[in-house]
Amino acid sequence: MVNQREERPLDELGVLKAPPRSEERRRAARGRILAAAAPLLQRRRRPASYWEVLAGWARPGLAAASIALLLLAAALQFTGNGEETVAPVPLDEVLATSDAGRVPALLVAINEPDADAVVAAALTGNGR
Amino acid sequence: MARAMAGANDQRDQTIDLDEPLLVERVRRGDREAFGKLVDRYSEQAFAVAYGFLQHAEDAEDLAQDAFLRALERIDRLDRGSPFGPWFYRLLVNAALNRRKYLARRRMEKIPEGTTGPGDPAADAERAVLRNCLASAVDALPDDLATVVILHDLEGFTHPEIARVLEIPEGTCRSHLSRARRMLREGLKELRHP
Repeated sequence: MVNQREERPLDELGVLKAPPRSEERRRAARGRILAAAAPLLQRRRRPASYWEVLAGWARPGLAAASIALLLLAAALQFTGNGEETVAPVPLDEVLATSDAGRVPALLVAINEPDADAVVAAALTGNGR
Repeated sequence: MARAMAGANDQRDQTIDLDEPLLVERVRRGDREAFGKLVDRYSEQAFAVAYGFLQHAEDAEDLAQDAFLRALERIDRLDRGSPFGPWFYRLLVNAALNRRKYLARRRMEKIPEGTTGPGDPAADAERAVLRNCLASAVDALPDDLATVVILHDLEGFTHPEIARVLEIPEGTCRSHLSRARRMLREGLKELRHP
């Protein structure tokens, strides 16, 4: 297979190179650039508006919100479905008696009684 | 010529300083001194590249200035941490290609500057003819080929550097250069011996 690539640069192309500039000319060009840039730089120094600040924070804000949502979702996933679990009231508590007589178990129960406790209290007449 | 290329590479290597992202950040906030440092780093090479396209010193200086101002206007579009150089040269090359088309007619009517000197008038005249021929041959190249040959053969950019500036694969860059050289040789032959 013949290599079609022309690897040699043209020697004559050197005549198109830029002529060296004098130090004075370089300084003048630099001065012109900086003078023309002054209003643009000045504009950049003014205090940013409310919307510019808001726009500047939009991207990191969205990222932070996404991360927070992910963490929240993960926390919910690992702690169940988020509903509060009800501790069952032991039957002993329901059937407990005191010196002063029977105290309605459903009134003295610390936790909300479950269905079994309510049925037991009703059957023993200790629910009132 | 090889030494000139090495010099150009050294110049660009020096520009890739660690403090450049900080300079860019300061420019974003309107720091004149930081912008001046970027100008100091890139203006000479920018002028040389612009001259490669336009073959006119004043036009090249105007173009380099415009590229710096355009870079300042768009500095917020440069991704944080990205190098300034390739992005800036991309702006410069795009502006140069546009200006080249606009100025083509005017340049063709003028004798390029720097063609005469204190030396032998006959040699100067011959050199001027060669310059005209080469400038015409480069002008006749498609934009992408002209860009690669100017950056590589005139200004000593490497293929990876050109690939970054033009955002093209290195292989494409090499094939562009190969085609450009071949077309230049053929064009030059026709211009010299029509």
